[in-house]
This record gives sequence, structure tokens and C-alpha cells, in this order.
Amino acid sequence: MGIEPLIMASSFIRALIEREFMQLALITGVFIGFLAPLIGAFVVIKRLSLIADTLSHFSLAGLAIGMYFINILSLPIGDPLYIGMVFGIIGALLIEVLRGYYRNYKEISMPIVISIGTALSALFISLSGGFNSSVYNYLFGSILTVGRNFVIIISLVTLVILALVIIFYKQIVIVSFDEAYARLLGISVRKFQIVTTIILGIVVSLAIETVGVLLVGSLMIIPVATAMKVGRSFKSTLALAIIFSEASVLLGLWFSYIFSIPSGATIVLFNIAIMVSVVILKKFFFNRSLKEKQS
Amino acid sequence: MRIDVDNLSFGYDYRTVLKNVSFSIESGDFLVIVGQNGSGKSTLVKCLLGINKVPDSKIFLNGIEINDFSNWIQIGYVPQKFDDFNYEFPITVNEILNVTKLTKADEDEKLEIMDNLGILTLQNENINTLSGGQMQRVFIARALMNHPTLLILDEPTVGVDQDNTDRFYRVVNDLNDQGVTIMLISHDLNSSKANFSHAMWLDNGEATLKNISEVALGGEE
Repeated sequence: MGIEPLIMASSFIRALIEREFMQLALITGVFIGFLAPLIGAFVVIKRLSLIADTLSHFSLAGLAIGMYFINILSLPIGDPLYIGMVFGIIGALLIEVLRGYYRNYKEISMPIVISIGTALSALFISLSGGFNSSVYNYLFGSILTVGRNFVIIISLVTLVILALVIIFYKQIVIVSFDEAYARLLGISVRKFQIVTTIILGIVVSLAIETVGVLLVGSLMIIPVATAMKVGRSFKSTLALAIIFSEASVLLGLWFSYIFSIPSGATIVLFNIAIMVSVVILKKFFFNRSLKEKQS
Repeated sequence: MRIDVDNLSFGYDYRTVLKNVSFSIESGDFLVIVGQNGSGKSTLVKCLLGINKVPDSKIFLNGIEINDFSNWIQIGYVPQKFDDFNYEFPITVNEILNVTKLTKADEDEKLEIMDNLGILTLQNENINTLSGGQMQRVFIARALMNHPTLLILDEPTVGVDQDNTDRFYRVVNDLNDQGVTIMLISHDLNSSKANFSHAMWLDNGEATLKNISEVALGGEE
């Protein structure tokens, strides 16, 4: 029993070395594991945690329309992902427009955009031939089936977003925490909001490949929710969120390969397991240090 | 900073919050705005900060029509109970203040401001572990980083103990002595230890401005 985990680990590592699909999955997972909590942190600060789920449903509409273009109309668009990304951006802009239109009921924008996305998805999935393995993969993720093109796209997107976050770090932090103060510093809050929402739309549509439409929100939010409980500063919270996220991606990938179980669901369940562990450990150590102080 | 407000009415959707508000204060004045909850105090502040968009020719800052005004960095703002700031997410005092590339104060001056406000030792503390008084001083420090010529303080001493309230008014009165125009929002003039020059009562969106001698003669409304 003692050596079983070692055998499992060595078979996973061998697969990573020998099989290209595992290498592509690992690179994709590492990039998404980095991007999702990085963007998710700013989403949580703005108290917009449901925006990721909203955009993932809207991106699904794009993916479904992409499938329709390819399967029924035989249009040479390559991959439905491109239409999914465009829809991620359109959904993001639509949310911003609706938030401006319903200024006192900004949260209304979410169910409106989810409704449009879900309705279009159902329509075009049906028109494309109904429920099949592609649709299942979009709903629950398929990191083990990503191709080279996807890895190139996600590498470029990660680099661009990382560069933007590093260059505009202070502005993004100020706009996220306190819009009124950002305005007084001469920061164009509206432009920042639009750009960050577009970035969110792109990241969500890419993350769909990893964990699927139904689990994208958890990939972005749960590591941040965990890190918030133990982070002391903003930077340490961001770093912890990324570490938790990467750990769940790697563990999820490993377990899904070894036990032939869905990768997206496994990654998210590891995310939740880490969150529960951190909450329990924090409670245990916090209570103990409190008792030590009192005695 | 001189402020002129001319016949300003403002509302949200179909609800009018400010009704024909007019007043002027000169650079270096200390105005306390008093009113009950819902009287329009915070709405007026949001209009003056350009957050609430107002029609042309209603507000002038230093003689410049507010919709053409761009030098916002001159205005320091401490929000009401920090409602506009998400202080539940972990962030240290230093991270809040560490925006020196965007403000007029350099690193040395930032430390000096923190020292003057007695928060130098709190640099690496998480904002959500601070007391109300400490948090309030962090936000005053942040507002001072821009060398403001106008400092707007929205209900700054709510939930703050007496010692810290007294300390707060000493800091604000000193700033006013140095020539900074102060606009302080309060729900109770009597509990304020501000050396104000003018007081304005907002009642159901309607404003009445009095200078200090009129307040002394007539008492609080």
C-alpha cells in the first residue's frame, strides 16, 4: 500500500514525458491555473463573483454557434473556440452596458446575459445536431484534449495579461478597491473597467477548455476565497491564490489521468478540498494561538 | 479651493435628492455640512467629486465649470465609513498608500504623513485588523498624499472613540490653518470640534448656509 502512490506518481510523470497530449494539458493547466485566480482576485474585490459564470454561459453560446458554422454550414473557421472568445468579449461589453443602464440595479445585468447565453446555446446546440461529446467537453472541460494551437493562444494571452497587470498594477488595485479615489487620481475608471471586463471575457472563454462552462467560476473564485482567509497583504493573497490554484490543477490532472475521471471536476474538487483544509487548519491554529495568548 | 454651487438639483431616477442648492465658499474656508440621514449630504459630495454627473453651470471649482474640471488630484476625499473601499479583502496599509507614482507625495513624505498621523507602525498591518480610528487616519493619510487644496471628509468620526475623534479634529484644524479648504459632513454640529468658518444645514435636499457669526447668534437649527 505504501508504494502505490509512488507507482501512480511515476506513471503520471512517465506519461508527462512520453505523451504529447499530457504535456499540452499540463502547460494549459499551469497557464489557466495562473490566470484564473489572478483575474479572479480583482473580480472578488469588486464583489462580482458571478460575472465569471455569466460570461462562461455567454461564451458557450459562441461555442455552440461555432459548432453550427463548422458542422452544418461547413464554414472554415477552424475552431469554435474563436467564436467563443468573441462571445466572451461581447458578453463582457454587454454586462458593462447593462450595468450602466440599470445603475441602481447593476446585478440585473448578470441574469439577463446568462439568459441570452443559455437560450442561444440551447438553440444552436440543437441546430448543430444535439448533445454530443463536444458539448459535454464544453460543459465539463476537456483539458486532456487541447491541441497545440490552443496552447499557443493561451501562452500569448497569459503573457499579454501578465504584462498588462505588471504595468498597470497600481492603477488596477486602486480602481478595484476604490473607484472614487481612482477618479481623483485622474485614472479613467470607465476605460479600466471595460478593458478588465474584456480580459475577463477572454480568460473565461479559455478556461472553458480546462474545467468547462459549469465550473469556470469556481476555478477563478475558490482559490481566491481560500487565500483571503490566510493572506495578510494583497500581494501575499494573490500569490497564495495562484499557489492553491496551481496545486489543484496539478493534483486534478494527476488524479484524472490515474483514475480516468473527468479532469475539470477533479480540479475543482481539489480546489474545494484545499479550501476546506485551509479553513479547518486556520480555525485550529487560530483558536490554539488565542488560547495560548489567554493562558 | 473656491467652490460655487448654483441652484443645483439632483436626483436618482424619479427621486429628487438635492433641491436648488446654492452656496459659495472661499479658498481656506472650513465648511461643515449638517443633516440627518437621507438629507442629501453624501449625494452633494458625489456631485462635487464628479461621481454624480450634473448639468453644466451648476458647480464651479476654482471658477472652472465642473464638467471641464480636470485637476481632481487637488481634492482629498475620505469616504463615509469607507463604504466605497472594500476593506474586507486583505491589503496592508502600505499597499493602500503605496501609490506614490500616482500622487504628489514621494516615499519620504509618505512616511512623514504617516508619522504625523501616528500610523507609521501600522505599515504592514492588514487593513481589516485596524480599529475605526486607525483606519480613518489611514484614509486621511491617503487623502493628504496629493497635497489637497480641498479636503472632503464624509462623516469621518462615526464609530471612532473620543480620543481618536479629538486627535482627528486637531489634524483637520491644523490643515485648515495651513490654508486647506475643508468640507466636513456631519450629522451633529454640537459633537464636532471643528474650527469651522461656515455651516450649512441640508434638510430634505434644501440647503441653508450660515457663517460662524450667524451660527453663534442663532444656534444650530
